[in-house]
Amino acid sequence: MAQYRRLGGILAIALATTTGLTACGFGGSTGEATGDGTTLDLLVPSYSDATQGLWDDVIAGFEEENPDIDVNLQVESWDNLESVIATKIQGGEAPDIYNGGPFAGFAEDELLYPVDEVISEETYADFQPTFLENAQVGGTTYGLPFIASARALFVNDALLEEAGAEVPATWDELLESAKKVSELGGGVAGYGMPLGSEEAQAEAAVWLWGGGGSFGDAEQITIDTPENLEGAEFIKTMIDEGATQADAGATDRSPLFDIFVQGKVGMQVGLPPSVGQIESDNPELEYSIHPIPTKDGEPFTLGVADHLMAFQNDGDKQEAITAFFDYFYSADVYVPWVQAEGFLPTTLSGSEQLADEEALAPFLDVLPDAQFYPTTNPDWNAADSAFKALFGQLDGNKSAKDVLAEIQTQVDEG
Amino acid sequence: MKDLLKALPWIGPAVALIAAVVLFPVGLMFWNSTRDISQSGLDDGGVGLANFATVVGFQYFWPILGRTVIWVVVVVGCTLLGSLALAALLNKAFPGRRLVRMAVIVPWAASVVMTTLVVHYGLEPYFGIINSFLVDVGLIDTPEGYGWTRHPGTAFAWAMAVAVFVSLPFTTYTILAGLQTVPGETVEAARIDGASGVRTYFSVVLPQLRGAVSVAVLINIINVFNSLPILRVMTGSIPGYDADTVMTMIFKYMQNQRQIDLASALSVIAFLVVIGIVAIYVRVVRPLEEV
Repeated sequence: MAQYRRLGGILAIALATTTGLTACGFGGSTGEATGDGTTLDLLVPSYSDATQGLWDDVIAGFEEENPDIDVNLQVESWDNLESVIATKIQGGEAPDIYNGGPFAGFAEDELLYPVDEVISEETYADFQPTFLENAQVGGTTYGLPFIASARALFVNDALLEEAGAEVPATWDELLESAKKVSELGGGVAGYGMPLGSEEAQAEAAVWLWGGGGSFGDAEQITIDTPENLEGAEFIKTMIDEGATQADAGATDRSPLFDIFVQGKVGMQVGLPPSVGQIESDNPELEYSIHPIPTKDGEPFTLGVADHLMAFQNDGDKQEAITAFFDYFYSADVYVPWVQAEGFLPTTLSGSEQLADEEALAPFLDVLPDAQFYPTTNPDWNAADSAFKALFGQLDGNKSAKDVLAEIQTQVDEG
Repeated sequence: MKDLLKALPWIGPAVALIAAVVLFPVGLMFWNSTRDISQSGLDDGGVGLANFATVVGFQYFWPILGRTVIWVVVVVGCTLLGSLALAALLNKAFPGRRLVRMAVIVPWAASVVMTTLVVHYGLEPYFGIINSFLVDVGLIDTPEGYGWTRHPGTAFAWAMAVAVFVSLPFTTYTILAGLQTVPGETVEAARIDGASGVRTYFSVVLPQLRGAVSVAVLINIINVFNSLPILRVMTGSIPGYDADTVMTMIFKYMQNQRQIDLASALSVIAFLVVIGIVAIYVRVVRPLEEV
């Protein structure tokens, strides 16, 4: 008998320790309302260390204008954001306003307000039309374009000059220039190719779309196509011919860009905030920003827009949400926010106001040629994670065809 | 029955706590594993055992399970051998023993994620100090170093090394506590009988450590099997599933693919595996029995 009691004790220990991983969740406090006004819960990701302060300023300004509305701010890291929102929805505690990436799943589950119900007409008309189209599911807009980014090729001018290489516009030129830079030796890499899990889908888009491919549309995700194969094959060529840094398959973007900033990488695709990073970490770096090389030299860029969306919950906060969105998207509030984070605005008035910004000019120039991830396809989440998990295998023995087929399979299985 | 009622006010809070933090999450995990849960977290109805079929049918499932076994056996084995040696050392009186005993606690006191990140950054090409050192002494001939954490094999091996490092303090102290209970007379008697130091250790001391060692091993097995952060940091950027254990796979289902139903199903499998191992272990080794 004593023995069984001990067994029970041990099982209890095992039980307690093994459930630790899955038991996290059911968190989420929704602060108390002060006074009898409406309370808006706002869940946002952290773009930088400044994000929390920027939102605090916005909320302070908003609450001053609307004394009967309280705003609760919750800031989460990007890593946690999606599990936090999933947990909250599961617990019936969805925030009223959410800032995130893909939202088609929420729209499909009928959790969101169509945005024209929670924003005034003037504000709605101020968005760039391409960005609004990108935020539609079945013809209805569910997300308000929040901040945008575009990609461009950052070139280390000093290294290219030393190697006698030209700034490339096509893949073949890129291969040639990158090989020349790699041959300088001393750990210098010609082209920085981050296929690691951090943002493999972005580097994939740069290459597969640059070769004329696409990831599909709102109805269908198509990865394993002949057009995409071309880009994937060329990635393999770049790696095999030594034009990239070592271990491209498991290199994450952020640490690799640090190496670029240190002046050890010839060329790498970067974002608007990369300009600020170089400015603060290594202002001596001689670099320039160019359009991304493509197979035939046609300009293109990968555009990404994050969105603000409004959850319906009990359906009684429509007016408060409208007030908040109209306040936030007024140029005086919105533009400083976007600018402080180093991204691009999605409103027409915002673009006008930033037109003279020299650092952003190369990005604003390519913005009209921007192509977007098919984020309105409910399967895009699966595709995104399949790229993160599998695309890096191009650096290895697997053929490009097999890698694309494996990604497609994982997407189809959902 | 009357006794039970009388005891209830005293054990009630504890029972309620166990129900809330142990039984309820376990029940929820089992429940979730049989549901179809959408990516945004809505419950779309029951699917029976389909989630389990998907998880087990995944082409990398068996390699992942095999790797988990290797992970547990190697880490627990190395930890045990290292701890036995360390504990024997710390049991001897020598100048500065107190300081060394304190030093052994450090990996325990530090956050596992922090310890792992320190090693991870050390292994980075270009700027990691471990890589720089290996390049400077000429063991690696590429100037930027070797991508230790970029290859499944080396990343997994380093993760094991870190896991042993952070498991040592607890195990060492458990065994050290066991060593203090070994009566001096038994060792003295062995000496008088002319047994060598090695013989004394293996035939007299070690058998008396059985209780301490078996408890330490049991807790280590559970801990190491469920260890996520070390592997997550060390192998996180590697594409594919060639460096995953069951725990990192659960994490990938949950975090990357947002399939809470599949993550729950794999958690249930992991849970049953651990319970199975523990049950067998308890039957065979009887860790809590007196010697």
